[in-house]
Formats: sequence, C-alpha cells, structure tokens
Amino acid sequence: MIATQTQRPRRRPHIHIQDIVVHLLLLGIGLLISLPIIIAFFTSFKIPSQIIVFPPEILPRQWTFENYIVAWNVNPFGRFLLNSTIQSGIITLAQVIFSIMAAYAFAILDFPGRNGLFYLVIGSLMVPFELVFIPNYQLVSALGWGDTYMGLTAPFLVSAFGVFLLRQFFLTVPKDFHDAARIDGCGNWRYLWTVLVPLSKGSIGAFAIFAFLSAWNQYLWPLIITSKVEMRTLQIGIRYFMSTLDRGADWGPVMAGSVIAILPALLVFLFAQKQLVRGIAMTGLKG
Amino acid sequence: MSQSTLNQPLSLSKTATEQGRRRRKIWPTIEAYLYLAPTLFGLLIFVFIPIFTSFHLSLHRIAPFGNVMRFVGFDNYRNLLTSPDYWDSVRITLLFVLGTVPTGIALAVVLAILLSYPLGKMAWFYRALIFVPVIISSAVAGVLFRWLYHPVVGYLNYWMVQLGLFENMQQAPNWLGSKEWALVAVIIATTWRQLGFNVIIALAGVQNIDESYYDAAKVDGAGVLQRIRHITLPLLSPTLFFLLIINIIYSFQAFGEIHILTQGGPGRATMTLVYNIFDTAFVGTPQRGIASAQAYLLAILVVIMSFINYAAANRRVHYQ
Repeated sequence: MIATQTQRPRRRPHIHIQDIVVHLLLLGIGLLISLPIIIAFFTSFKIPSQIIVFPPEILPRQWTFENYIVAWNVNPFGRFLLNSTIQSGIITLAQVIFSIMAAYAFAILDFPGRNGLFYLVIGSLMVPFELVFIPNYQLVSALGWGDTYMGLTAPFLVSAFGVFLLRQFFLTVPKDFHDAARIDGCGNWRYLWTVLVPLSKGSIGAFAIFAFLSAWNQYLWPLIITSKVEMRTLQIGIRYFMSTLDRGADWGPVMAGSVIAILPALLVFLFAQKQLVRGIAMTGLKG
Repeated sequence: MSQSTLNQPLSLSKTATEQGRRRRKIWPTIEAYLYLAPTLFGLLIFVFIPIFTSFHLSLHRIAPFGNVMRFVGFDNYRNLLTSPDYWDSVRITLLFVLGTVPTGIALAVVLAILLSYPLGKMAWFYRALIFVPVIISSAVAGVLFRWLYHPVVGYLNYWMVQLGLFENMQQAPNWLGSKEWALVAVIIATTWRQLGFNVIIALAGVQNIDESYYDAAKVDGAGVLQRIRHITLPLLSPTLFFLLIINIIYSFQAFGEIHILTQGGPGRATMTLVYNIFDTAFVGTPQRGIASAQAYLLAILVVIMSFINYAAANRRVHYQ
C-alpha cells in the first residue's frame, strides 16, 4: 500500500491526521459519485410540488409512493418490467448454458480445428456491435421477429466472452478428474454437468452476473427492434415519461421508473460485489 | 485418448487397429462440434455473416420505399469522406473522446490510490459508493443527468451558482439547449457512468504492485507523493495503457446517454460517429447503405484499437 503502514501492529489506537484526511476524501468523493443515484431515489419519493421547488432540495419533506403508482399506471410499467425480466432471463440462461458447453469443448475435448475455432470465437470479441446491428436488424425483421422476445434476444444467445472466461476456468480443473470419470464410464455430458459445473459454480456465477447486467442494461438493440409500447423494455420505457420533456411535474414518475430500472442491478451489485469486481478486474471487460 | 491408442498391443491386426482408431476419432470430433454448435451458429449468424452483409450494404444505395438496391461501388464512402457533416462528426467524436478518456482515467487512478489505503471496515462502503456507476445503464445515466441539468430547477446549476461559478441561474449553462454546452453535458454523464469500471481496473492494478517496492522506497526516505510518482505510476503503466485503449473504444461506442440527453443535437452539436450511424439508419428516411459505410469506417477504427490492445497485452505477458 502506498500510505504509511509501517507500524501495523499498533498497541494503542493512534489516529493519524493522514487517516482522517483519506477517510473524509473518500467519503466526500464517494457521496459525490453516487449523488445522481441518491437524488433520483429521494426525488422518486417526493410529492410533485416539491420536485419542482427552487432551490432544489435533496430530502423529501413528505414521503410518498405516488410517483410509483403514477409510473405504474400511466404507462404499462409492469409490462416493461416483465419484458426486461424475460429478455434478460432468456439471454442469461442461454449464454450460460451455451458458453459452458463451448468452453468444455475448447478446454477438455480434443478435436481437429480446435485452435482455429477458438481464435475465431475470440476474434469475434473485436467486432463492434455497430458494425453488425444493421444486418442483424434486417435479418430479425425479415424473420418477423420484430416486437417479439425472440427478436429481443436472438443476437445475444451466445457469448464469446463467456466461452473465453469459462474455458480459462475449466483449464484449471485437474485433468485427472476427467480421466477418472472416463474410467468409471462417465460420459462427457454427465461429467460436465455433474462434476465440472458444480466445481465451477463461482466462475459460472460471476459470468451469469455479467450476462444479466449487460442484458438488463441493453439500450440500442431493444430500441430498434421493438416499436410497440407493450414490447418495450424498462430501459426504453423510462423515456415515455420524458415525452413531455422538461415540464417538471413528470419527473417524479421518471425517477420512480429509473429507480425500478436500477434496483435489480443494484441488488446484484450489493450481494455479489466481490464476484463482480473480481470478474471485471480479472478480464478487464464489462461483459 | 491418443496415448491409449499408441500403447495398444502390437499383436492386433493392422486393419482392425485402424478401423478402431478411426471410429474412436470420429465420434469425439462430432461430439465436440455438437458442444460448440450453438455458439458457432450464433456467432456465424449474428457476427460473422453480418460483417460481409454490412460491407455489401455499404456498396449500395437503398431506395427509401420498397427494397430496391442499387450498386454504387464505393460512392457511399467517397461521399462520406467528402462531406463536411461527416468530418464534423469525426471532430465531435474526437472531442468526446478527449473529454471523457483522460479525465476518466485520471480520476480513476486518484481514487484507486485512495482506496488502496488501509481503510479497515469502511473499505467496502467507500468501494460501493465509488464503484456503483458500473451497474447503471446508459439510459438511466442519461435520465439521471437530464434531471441534474434541468435549466430551471436543476441541482447542478444551483450548486454552481452557490459555489460562485456563475452569478445566477440565468447565467448558468443551458446544458442541453446550447451548442457550446451540450457536448460537455454528454461528456460528463458518460465519464460518470464509465468511472466505476475504470476505478475497479485501476485498483486491481495498484494492488498488483509488489509491496516490497514501497518498503524499499520508505527505507530510502521517500514521501507519499514521491512513492506515487516514482513507483505507483510507472508500475501502473500497463494498466493505464489498457484503460486508455478500452476507454477510447467505449467512448467511440457511447450511445444511450446521447440518445436520452440530446439526440445528437442541438443542431449537430453531439452527433458523434455512432449516433450518426443510428440517425442515418433509423431516424427519418432510413439510409442503411450509407449508414453501413459509416459503420465500416467506425469499425475499422475500433478494430485497430483492439489490435493495439491485444498486441500490447501479449507483449506484457511475455515481459513478465
């Protein structure tokens, strides 16, 4: 560590000025960084007349659920939530299962073309979504999948990132396990799901978190592939409240909608912070 | 597998061995490809084929109504590269990158150094406060900042007036309505959302630095700032380089914030290259041929960046 830590086994509690400064700085900056979220949270519980008050106040004078009720009733918010849940659920589940299978092939099985195919899969990570989204849009529309869950999820059912991540982990599992299982007459399929997957719960969980977060937060694709209000996801749905733009009175429901949109990701973040952070730090990717 | 084949007793007749070997080789191959099938199929349909379709589209002009495609060769590219609007988008994108990337990385490094301080029980709390933007979507980030930028009751302007940066609310920036401030507004929102990710990477880099370097420096009597300057920053340089490249790539691709905050406007003040692609392909009269040409030009930039990153990462591994 950079700061002084020389007298680690301190006998009496000794407070350094440096310690206080660092703690205060971190608290200040930390609050400043999370302030937009904190403000959204408090605003969502304010009564409409307080929302547009000047000078702006942070805490609600009087807590109310009104904005949530309005948000829920004015637009099909329950439907947005359901759509987002189904869309992210399908994407997460499919990416996890298909990535496990492909990672198993690349890590454990031996077959001609293995290295070439692996580089191809990794190479696909370099292709920016902007390059392929127009053809994907045309294909999915031509298949008649616009405004369907199929259309929302189809391009994201597999993940090169997941294959890469899980392969790395599968490689660390001793090959003896596999050999022993083979000798006991255990086939690949059974070995994968009954031995390897339970052994890799941590990594698979970390990847599932990534997959879920990036699916939940998607914007460009749901925006173009859905046009009916009832097929929009939460991230797109928030915008419906802003159609009347800066007429302050609508901001309550907008903030309530944002809080609902943040909540599942925030829960994941609070409960799996360690895994999420380790995953990002290890791979340098956001998923 | 192959070892057990090699160790087979020689007494077996040659043809039998070969047959057995072939049968044993074909099934594992088929099996492996079955495991790979979903992934390969998905990537083929939604990544690899579209690379070519996109290029094909970019060589055509598509009539707005109906599906008539006319081959125009490289006209779309030529028109783009001679269009002042396109170069304006290039300029705006570069300003956007310059606005988001260096600030984002500098802030991340400062925060990572602070977070690496022994913080005891409070560590998780500070980390949560600082990392949290990492889970925020571009759409929500756009909405949150739209609220902060509100011209009449916006927190940001109010605080800036309180701090004495502007005399009153009328003189404070009209963030989203003025050409001068709109890009800054989008830059702030994007930098904020990116910050959580950047601090996580920077902190991992700082924590990877071997303690013994600091101990040695302490023996030599180096102060905190000297240690940061002569140990932390030089040893952090691979991380910094990675952050630089990955942030440039992410900045090139920023979309949600712009769509919520400014929709490319006012005028074309925030019409970055990515937003321009969306605008050309999906807003008003869709011109997907031209949009594909734009996408190709952007993708070339992004791929070059990825290659640099990949090459550097490889070199890093070798030097360790």
